Amino acid sequence: MKIRIIGWLVLGLFAAAAALYAAVGCDLNDPDRDVKRLFPESTSYKTLYVSIAKKGGESLLRKVEARLGDTFKGLYETADVPYTMYQIFRGGELIGYIHGVNQKGQYGGIQVFLALDTKGVIRGFYFQKLTSKAAKLFREPAFGAQFIGLSLKDFEVYNVVTGAEDPPGRVGRIKNPDPGSGSDFRAALRATKKNLILVDEFLLSEQGAAEGTTPASRRQGE
Amino acid sequence: MKKISLFQVAYKNLLRKKTRSVLTLVGIGLAAWVLVSLFGFNQGYEASLNRDIDNLGFQMLVIAKGCPYEAATLMLKGGTGLKYLKEDVVGLVAREPEVEGVTPMLMQVVFDPNKGESGGFSAFLGVDPKTFPTLKGALKFQAGGWFTEPEAAEAVFGYEAAELEQREVGDSYLIPEKNVEVKVVGVLERTGTQDDGTIFLPFRTVQRVFGVENELTGIGIKVRKEADIAKFEEKMYALPDVQVVSLAQVKTTIMSLVGTARVLVFSIAVIAILIAMMGVVNTILMSVMERRQEIGILKSMGAQALDIFKLVWLETVILCLAGGAIGSVLALGTAKITDVLVRHLLPYAPSGGLVQIDVRLVLTTLGVVTLIGLLSGIYPSWRAGRLRPLDAIRSEVES
Repeated sequence: MKIRIIGWLVLGLFAAAAALYAAVGCDLNDPDRDVKRLFPESTSYKTLYVSIAKKGGESLLRKVEARLGDTFKGLYETADVPYTMYQIFRGGELIGYIHGVNQKGQYGGIQVFLALDTKGVIRGFYFQKLTSKAAKLFREPAFGAQFIGLSLKDFEVYNVVTGAEDPPGRVGRIKNPDPGSGSDFRAALRATKKNLILVDEFLLSEQGAAEGTTPASRRQGE
Repeated sequence: MKKISLFQVAYKNLLRKKTRSVLTLVGIGLAAWVLVSLFGFNQGYEASLNRDIDNLGFQMLVIAKGCPYEAATLMLKGGTGLKYLKEDVVGLVAREPEVEGVTPMLMQVVFDPNKGESGGFSAFLGVDPKTFPTLKGALKFQAGGWFTEPEAAEAVFGYEAAELEQREVGDSYLIPEKNVEVKVVGVLERTGTQDDGTIFLPFRTVQRVFGVENELTGIGIKVRKEADIAKFEEKMYALPDVQVVSLAQVKTTIMSLVGTARVLVFSIAVIAILIAMMGVVNTILMSVMERRQEIGILKSMGAQALDIFKLVWLETVILCLAGGAIGSVLALGTAKITDVLVRHLLPYAPSGGLVQIDVRLVLTTLGVVTLIGLLSGIYPSWRAGRLRPLDAIRSEVES
């Protein structure tokens, strides 16, 4: 009997070790807790699962890449990656979105989550996961606070490949907390721009179509 | 005049009461479905479990004495308090004649404060670049290969670990907490096992990085096929401060647990078969009673008791064969759904198909169902054969 119990426990140990890495993708670790933390006024949320492949296929992929100013790279940044998007409600009213993306960092995976209002303006930024030599500095609230108030419009002139911004604007003013971790800093900005583009394509465009406006016209009306 | 065969008569008789025949068919079909699915599960589960154990590469694991439950908990809470084996135990194990191969392993867990909101754990499995790849020959690489040197600062990522860390061959990876950089030299294909979530490093590298020189957390042993595992296990217990976990025992444990569930399901299947059998007896008996006059006329025209017996018996065989075929097709068609359902219900389900239905199983089930049909048909057929022609004709007229 003892041997049997030990057998089960060792199997359990293997399974537990596997579970450490089991959840691949970019979901909130604890949606109930995280939604309340990012939108304290929220009363409910709805989860949507979308992918570029299902939504628009190759043409949408090309469009997203063109807007990003970079191609999707590597084994894990592909058109069939499933994105989990959270629509946040207060009562019956839509008050914002939460969305995260995976990004390849210098030393490991990075998961950048944005909390956005219904116009696509960032009201919260955080790394759900970050493997970097400067992880502690990047996860300081002061770093994330630099993103608050920015929207896709600000990132449109930011070049994710060179890290330059022409003409200089608000993105260029975001300070890298560790000059030695330049590639992780640029990875964070690329993830943010990609995140904003995907929200714009998947959610804001549809919201605009329903309201009879386009994301661009809403921004002009701000 | 065209001669009509006994089979055609039996078939036409069944068509006379279509609803009753169809309902009986459904009953037999459902019973056959349960039977095929159950035995398919029995075959599939054992085959998948054997495959999983083979893919592990070793059938026995020697770990340090202590409570593995405590060890597991502590590992998941940061790796402190782990029970270790001394490295020289590997040599003691390897010289046993029953041993085909041994591989030392060292697992370490670190707390990564940058994983999730309140941190998480990252696990690393140190393996021997010389022996581990040989024992785990089933592991295939999506890209790259195993370590170049026994103490290299290199890592091989399981499929899911690589996806989570967005690592590809040639990338660097930073071991959290230790701030040690390793180079990714291989990414494994998906296996559906715990290997998918594992980051492998050379065990010497793990010893150095985590400061546990000369220590191991386990030794994987591949035992020769002809060896007596139980006897060998006793021998292993003679080693100082070790605990032995035989995967043969784990398999037995799992199979006995699954067996308990199987007995329950098997009982339900037997009940279903008995109900179906009663349904067949009832249907045929009803049919015989309704056709008493007809049977009487047949007998008065010269039909022998055996002819009537054969005719009625054939009806039950047709019903059972058709029901068995319907059930088998149903079981084949729903094998995937059954697989998913069983996987949700079982505490531990091996990878691969859990329900394996092959031709032999289908034929066996058809045979069993037909045999049941033959047995069920004896009484009604015997009753029909015994009817006296005049009594039968008169009773119908009187009614």
